[in-house]
Amino acid sequence: MATVTYIEADGTRHHADIASGENVMRGAVINDIEGIVGECGGGLACATCHCYVDQDWFEQVGGPASQDEADMLESAAAELRPTSRLSCQIVVSDDLDGLVVHLPTHQF
Amino acid sequence: MAIDPANPVPPVFTRSAGPDQVPPHVPPELIRSAGITFGPEFLAAPHRFMAQLHETHPPLFYDVNPFQNAWQAIKHEDALFILRHADIFSNEGATPFPRDPADYFYFIPIEIDPPEHRKYRNVVEPMFSPQGVLKLEETMRQLANELIDAFIAKGECDFTRAFGRPFPVTIFLRLMGLPLDMTDTFVDWAVALLHSNDRTIMAETLAKIGAYLKQAIAEKKAHPDEGVISRIAHAAPDGIPLSEKEIFGFVIFLFIGGLDTVFATLNNIWLWLANNPERRAEMLADPGNIHAQVEELLRVHSVTFSGRTVARDVELRGAQLKAGDKITCILPACNFDPDVFPNPTEVDFHRPKKIILAFTVGVHSCMGAHLARLEVKIALQEWLKRIPAFTLQPDAEIVYRPGGVIGPEWLPLQWPVSPA
Repeated sequence: MATVTYIEADGTRHHADIASGENVMRGAVINDIEGIVGECGGGLACATCHCYVDQDWFEQVGGPASQDEADMLESAAAELRPTSRLSCQIVVSDDLDGLVVHLPTHQF
Repeated sequence: MAIDPANPVPPVFTRSAGPDQVPPHVPPELIRSAGITFGPEFLAAPHRFMAQLHETHPPLFYDVNPFQNAWQAIKHEDALFILRHADIFSNEGATPFPRDPADYFYFIPIEIDPPEHRKYRNVVEPMFSPQGVLKLEETMRQLANELIDAFIAKGECDFTRAFGRPFPVTIFLRLMGLPLDMTDTFVDWAVALLHSNDRTIMAETLAKIGAYLKQAIAEKKAHPDEGVISRIAHAAPDGIPLSEKEIFGFVIFLFIGGLDTVFATLNNIWLWLANNPERRAEMLADPGNIHAQVEELLRVHSVTFSGRTVARDVELRGAQLKAGDKITCILPACNFDPDVFPNPTEVDFHRPKKIILAFTVGVHSCMGAHLARLEVKIALQEWLKRIPAFTLQPDAEIVYRPGGVIGPEWLPLQWPVSPA
């Protein structure tokens, strides 16, 4: 279990408790956090769960987990930044308790 | 016009069909009659035809035909825009199956727009998520091998009947909690509904399917099990049980959507495999790239379309679309858009990963996409392991049936058999 903070582009903050093994995209969808769409359901097929990992967490979370994720990020609608990730590929564990992710202005 | 999913009413819209019913705002230079899903040029080689639309047709055109006049979008970019803006391009009234006005129901969730749409998806999503479908992997592999056992020694089969159909349909019926001895009947119903192109037959068939499923739902209500129908029958989003109409509309939609699509996809892929021995060898030599192989094969062998109703006036590619117009995204053509997939008809297992439209996109993207991907992957792996070299039978004639799910009707294959 980890508490993840989602900060929307306008500064609105949401906190969600997410079970270990779930991913950051699902945590947002289950909790009705609208800045994440996740239309493909976590299959690395859509790029609508784009997020920016907070600078303080990026070293621990790391960059794209696969070449597929890096490729698919190129299809994201909002600006890409060095800390861009697809949130469906960030799997929650106890170690990520307190994680902060920033959401882009739009997902498509 | 917001609708109440629990209290369905037939939509009031006029179906325009044929050259006499082209609205005046459609520019004459954009009017075509492409014959998609039924014309002789289409049926001769559907995927080649749809790839060539990028050369033969404007990027957005208005198709006039005997069934449903509608705008047709073939650009990848336009499809993403249309399918991701449910507020402009609505699914209400966009599903063509005729229903009894006296006992009307909505197909759920496809005909329900946001925000109500999400509550239905949540009911079944755990079973259809990437993690959820993995629970079926072992039984899928076992089923694939049982099917192959039945015909491998003969050195030949009609792929469509021996594997392409029973593989996904059996998996689907198990998942739903429906009896496997009904497989042939279900398939016949699906074929009549999706391929008859005859609204009388469609309506009769839909009534038969409905009668059967009402009984199945009643049984699951009385005797809950782990299947999808039971889960829907007992669902209570936010503590409120789904109504009879919602349960029925949800179950019948999954039934229609789940029977025929993977079947047609497998038939398309196996036809390509039979004709491309060197590419089969390439796949076998690179088993670690199976996910990219599946995705690329889905891109070039997509089988279906996404129809929407324009909810408010909007401009697209310079054309004025008016509220009430119909628009169809020709998903297989969008997957051949050369601006997104250079050299689009070439099967390239090392393309940079992009959004493919095999399962559409947006809130109504296919719930069964992860199930379908897994089925295609396992079918490829298990078949190629046991029957790595096969060809079309010499007298095989490839025929496509008209209708909204595209695949060859028969696929007679043969392979060498070592003497016992």
